Amino acid sequence: MATKFNLNRQPVPDEEINSHKDFGELVNKFKKQSIEKARSDASFLKNKKATYSAIIAGVAVVCTVTYFSVFKKEPPKETNNDKIITSQKNNTSTQNTKLNKAFIEPPISKLNVPYTSYKVKAEQGGTLKHKSNSKIIIPKKAFVNKQGQDIIGDVEIKYREFHNQADIIASGIPMTYDSAGVQSTLESAGMIDIRGYQNGEPVYINPKKQITVEFQSEHTADRYNMYVLDTVAKNWVYVSRDNSLKGQKHEPSKTSAADATNEKAESPKTIELQKQLEAIPPKIEAEKIVYTKKVNQLPKVVTPTKPTKATAGRPQFELDVNYKEFPELEAFKNAIFEVGAENQNYNSKLADITWSSAEVSEGPIKGKNYLLTLKLRERVEKLIVYPALTGADYDKALKSYESKFNDYKTAVAKREADEKRLKEEFEAKQAAFVTEQKRLTDEMIKERIRWQKEQEDELNRKFQSITSQEKVTRIFNVTNFGICNSDCPTSMPQGEKMNPIFVINNSDSFIRSEKTYLVCHSKNVVYNFYTPSISYDPKDTYSLCVLSNGKLYLCDKTQLGTCFANKQNKIPVKELSVDVNDSYELKKALGI
Amino acid sequence: MLLDAVHMEFSPRYHHTADMLLDEQLIIEAAKQNPEHFGPLYDKYYKQIFGYVYQRMDDKDTAFDLTAQVFLKALTNIEKYEYKGVPFASWLYRIAHSEVMQLFRNNSKLRTVNADISDLRNICEEVEEEYMEQYKGILMTVIKDLPEDDLQLIELRFFEKRAFKEIAEILNLTETNAKVKLYRILERVKKTLTKTSK
Repeated sequence: MATKFNLNRQPVPDEEINSHKDFGELVNKFKKQSIEKARSDASFLKNKKATYSAIIAGVAVVCTVTYFSVFKKEPPKETNNDKIITSQKNNTSTQNTKLNKAFIEPPISKLNVPYTSYKVKAEQGGTLKHKSNSKIIIPKKAFVNKQGQDIIGDVEIKYREFHNQADIIASGIPMTYDSAGVQSTLESAGMIDIRGYQNGEPVYINPKKQITVEFQSEHTADRYNMYVLDTVAKNWVYVSRDNSLKGQKHEPSKTSAADATNEKAESPKTIELQKQLEAIPPKIEAEKIVYTKKVNQLPKVVTPTKPTKATAGRPQFELDVNYKEFPELEAFKNAIFEVGAENQNYNSKLADITWSSAEVSEGPIKGKNYLLTLKLRERVEKLIVYPALTGADYDKALKSYESKFNDYKTAVAKREADEKRLKEEFEAKQAAFVTEQKRLTDEMIKERIRWQKEQEDELNRKFQSITSQEKVTRIFNVTNFGICNSDCPTSMPQGEKMNPIFVINNSDSFIRSEKTYLVCHSKNVVYNFYTPSISYDPKDTYSLCVLSNGKLYLCDKTQLGTCFANKQNKIPVKELSVDVNDSYELKKALGI
Repeated sequence: MLLDAVHMEFSPRYHHTADMLLDEQLIIEAAKQNPEHFGPLYDKYYKQIFGYVYQRMDDKDTAFDLTAQVFLKALTNIEKYEYKGVPFASWLYRIAHSEVMQLFRNNSKLRTVNADISDLRNICEEVEEEYMEQYKGILMTVIKDLPEDDLQLIELRFFEKRAFKEIAEILNLTETNAKVKLYRILERVKKTLTKTSK
């Protein structure tokens, strides 16, 4: 059917268009659709006999999927181990609907809290002491593979801890807690992330066993609960009340790098030295090429040929020679060419023929004999001939030879001197390279030792502050690998609201916040805002961190306090220094 | 051909300053968190999207229904929306384009072409032909018989007076590609007009 063409159709009046606008209806449809989707997801899970249950909370578009198996005696699930980053199950909870983002997303990867690796014999178990003084107690036969079979041999335990707001920001672990549609943020008394691997493959905790982590926490209050992060439901799951042992004070850990493989990079200086070191072998090779080239470019010295006196009785030829082509024959001017005894084809009749052409070319012994090619029509005869002189010509040639031989000796001596000089220069350069190599290697070793020591000092410093305070040991009973937390939910700060504009260094350029972290200084909590507005309690103290275009910007507590006090929404921020390489430095930068 | 000519008044609705884009982006981010915050975007673009949909059909009720469908899809998928430096409108138009095309695939009878006589004059000017009354019928026939993709380009450029940048974003083409394609369509239109006038 042909398409209809309307010309000059009457436009629809604005009033009519507006009368169809119904945003409330749109939102209702959206909510209804979301709930239906949540229901169908839940029914899908049931059909798959998955151990999830979906709780649909009214029309508030909030759907929480609770993962029951966590911390319960059930067969191992893959979900709580390696799939943490990739888990993308759709959940309509407002904080958890970042469909296109990883659930755990460190804002800057270099700041992320690194894992420490330990090895343990599965059949023996053991107690691992972490640098923070925390203990990881692994019973015998604690691991099974994905078929549920006991594992024997070395198991690699990867472990890390999160103590403060900087660790929370750096790790990208979401701290939003959704309890039956009520959103809150978790205030942490400490968090652990523990994984197990054998030959790079994840292993699971034996359902009949549990790993106990005695975690050293600086947060002594007893209001905390144990939670485990369910990366499929994208929510924290309450496990139990915290079981803490109060008042234990510990010495700083003496754990050295030899006890644990800490995944720390080389220092920037080492990297630079390594680069310089790697640049030397190519220089050595290049220098060799230059040297060889220079030697080859030295003037060639041609050995003069000593004239030979003609042998009586030998057959001879008189020839015109192009001395430019055969300079060594200059000594044989007016020479005759004696036919060598090796010419089997020679007979005296050859001398009787008038040859149409006779050519001399290089003989088998260069500079000593020549190949004489005689041609007459089709006939070609080749003879090896030797130049020779007779009488006065010989004497003259001998004199000339002697003079040239003297020149030759001088030239040889000069060449040898030049070669020697070039060789010395070359060897001096090579020696300089080797010295440089050695110097750089020594410096690198020193730098590595210094760096290692600095790292250890830094680690000790980090935990010194913890150990110098009153501490409690919090017990994590781990039955599945993953992230566990000792927390208590806290509501978003209330009192004031603000739509901040983040200005770089008080300049005219501002940044667009993808995520705003409001770091509370009175509690170990970070409030995340994805919205343009933030809320805060004017009586509390905060610093602030803004993620924009893959960069972090900070506003310290003094500046932020001033902005909040003056209700000034233009908040000055500074880009996080490139020298900040870990969460400890981030903590310092935030002034926590 | 004067494809870049500015004698046609193109819709200024699409053009946004950096501040406007920022404001819009902030609303989008808020809407990602809470669908209630989608309101300003709905208000801002409802009329435009309805206009786009209704431009391609006769049935007003269907156009209103489809417009509602476009916004529901937008709200459902707003999480997936990524800011790429262009107004949110281009994303909405893409959804609208897809919904309209789906509707026509299901029921091609609903497809109509709607234009003003001034639009036909503009096409004549573009192909450097003086508009004559006799061209009206020829142009209407040529245009409605165009393949859907070509018709889209003519509609967007001449009947809706959109800039090439916007056309390219709606149709998921490069700006150059949109220009080249339109140039070729106009060449064919010109040939038909020249042939007929002889």
